[in-house]
Amino acid sequence: MKKFYLITILLTFNLWSQTPSEIIKISDSRLRGDSSYAELTITIVRPKWEKKMSIKSWTKGTDYSVSLVTSPAKEKGSVFLKRKNEAWNYLPAIERTIKLPPSMMTQNWMGTDFTNDDLIKQSSMVVDYNHKVIGSESIEDLKCWKLELIPTEESSVVWGKLVVWIDKSDFMQLKTEFYDEDMEIVNMMLGSDIIEYNGKKLPSKLEFYPLDDEGNKTVINYDKWSFDIKVPEKYFSTQYVSRLK
Amino acid sequence: MLLKIAWRNVWRNKRRSLITAAGIFIAIFLAILMRSLQLGMYDNMIKNVVGSFTGYVQLHAKGYWNDKNIDNSYKVNQLTVDEIKNINGVSNVIKRIQTGVLSSNNNLSKFLYVTGIEQEKEEKLTDWNKRLVDGRLLDKNDKSIIIAKGVAKYYNAKVGDSLIFIGQGYHGMQAVGIYPIKGVIDMKNPNLNNMSVFMNLSVAQDFVSAENRITNLVIDKEQYFDENKLAEQIKIKTDSQNNEVMTWKEMTPELDQLIQADSAGGILIIIILYMIVSFGIFGTVLMMTQERLYEFGVLISIGMKKYKLVITIIYETILLTFLGIISGVILSKPIIEYFHFNPIKLFGTAAAQLESAGFEPVIPMMNSLDIPLTHSVIIMIISLITCIYPIIIILKLKPIKAMKR
Repeated sequence: MKKFYLITILLTFNLWSQTPSEIIKISDSRLRGDSSYAELTITIVRPKWEKKMSIKSWTKGTDYSVSLVTSPAKEKGSVFLKRKNEAWNYLPAIERTIKLPPSMMTQNWMGTDFTNDDLIKQSSMVVDYNHKVIGSESIEDLKCWKLELIPTEESSVVWGKLVVWIDKSDFMQLKTEFYDEDMEIVNMMLGSDIIEYNGKKLPSKLEFYPLDDEGNKTVINYDKWSFDIKVPEKYFSTQYVSRLK
Repeated sequence: MLLKIAWRNVWRNKRRSLITAAGIFIAIFLAILMRSLQLGMYDNMIKNVVGSFTGYVQLHAKGYWNDKNIDNSYKVNQLTVDEIKNINGVSNVIKRIQTGVLSSNNNLSKFLYVTGIEQEKEEKLTDWNKRLVDGRLLDKNDKSIIIAKGVAKYYNAKVGDSLIFIGQGYHGMQAVGIYPIKGVIDMKNPNLNNMSVFMNLSVAQDFVSAENRITNLVIDKEQYFDENKLAEQIKIKTDSQNNEVMTWKEMTPELDQLIQADSAGGILIIIILYMIVSFGIFGTVLMMTQERLYEFGVLISIGMKKYKLVITIIYETILLTFLGIISGVILSKPIIEYFHFNPIKLFGTAAAQLESAGFEPVIPMMNSLDIPLTHSVIIMIISLITCIYPIIIILKLKPIKAMKR
């Protein structure tokens, strides 16, 4: 009888070789690396118009990231800097660095469907949630875990819960659903067009849908993406933002 | 002949005639002054808000007024502008682009409306030079701004300082810029004074990345033209699928409602005034009829036709009323004239209340022909109605009974 239990436990362990928290952790660290550099195109889609922006972005760990707008010409040189829980915006037109006040956290980031808050708190998927696998589903022929993420009590997350689909072989986040406090779905993010960057398979296209506004979406295309490169510390300082290239 | 008799009758008993005429005089005098004051106040309110800035009619992209967003701007072609300008009654067509921005200077920040204007055309709407408090007006191609005096006070800014604007541009573009202050202007309206910043149209279009686009086409009318009729004509000339035409009553319904509510109160008071006056007139007429019963009896018994007597009485009433009306109108005229050009200035809380609602705290009197005319006609009708009583008495008159003392 004891043997049987042991076998069952072993079997289960084999089947779920990772705990839900580990799945998220691996997925998150693959997406981030120790440091990263990316060139991306953001397309803001509205029912009547579209806007394309090109951005260069550097990250270091979960705490530091900096993005530089390279096009359109009028916004070229704008920088968005995040250091831990603080964010700055450098605007070349007025040659000033503005620290984003808490009141601006819920506003859209550079006209996209993301809020400033989404970007600053993006790392919290690992720390701020309790994770649970609630099923297995396939998305575009990739077998995925379906995980439910409920915010821990001490976290200050705005979502009621997240539901994330992570594929079983490469730990890619292929779909995320964002629910509000009333457990109504608010936003959805889809990953697709999987490409190998430095030996890492990642979705190169992320589509973000705010479900309240029909016809609105933001599409992010990663044109270049490299990981674990050396990023100078000064890139993440408020003094350097005007010289970033 | 009858008129002559009536004229003599009027002057035969001077005291009686004067009392009647005085009643009419007081009624018309008070009614005219009250209405002039009230309508003058409304007119001033409308001028404050509508005439000097909003304009009587505006053309927007469809949906702009409910969602004042730079994405709801539109491209206006010169042909449409010219066509609107050629409509009879349109005095001025002005392009504007307006957007809300966050402004900042040193440690202060404030929400403001930046308006791109065509300076030389705006001056036809109001004399900007007269309103300039400090500095100078914009030149063509000037990349500086004119701020309203409330904004200047908030930032403690002077000519030569700069303000930073951060806002949302057209189609998701960032709108960011720093602009030097060239002038400070008094908008004569507290709301506008606290919120307005002006720059050249082309500079503003560049600021929000909306080349050749505008948000408002302001259409000013010539005096005494009906803005509703103009709006109808403009609707015909423009593409109603993509544009909306609005009159100031639709754009600032609160002002219209305020005026209507206040005006209703004024009309009520005038009705009460007229009721008192009607009974006053009726009283004198009643007295006169009773006094003259003997006289009527004599006239009829010596062969005067009753209808001729009735006509004489009507003539008498008309003469008396005219006397009252003319003296009332003439005496109220200099007073109205004086307060039209030297408006009554309010002080203290009443002034503060009006100012906070966005109006100048002055009450000028309205100097128009409409008011005396309307009220003269009303008084005339009232006195004609009161003379029904002597007419009935005359028609029923039995000479023998009347002459019995």
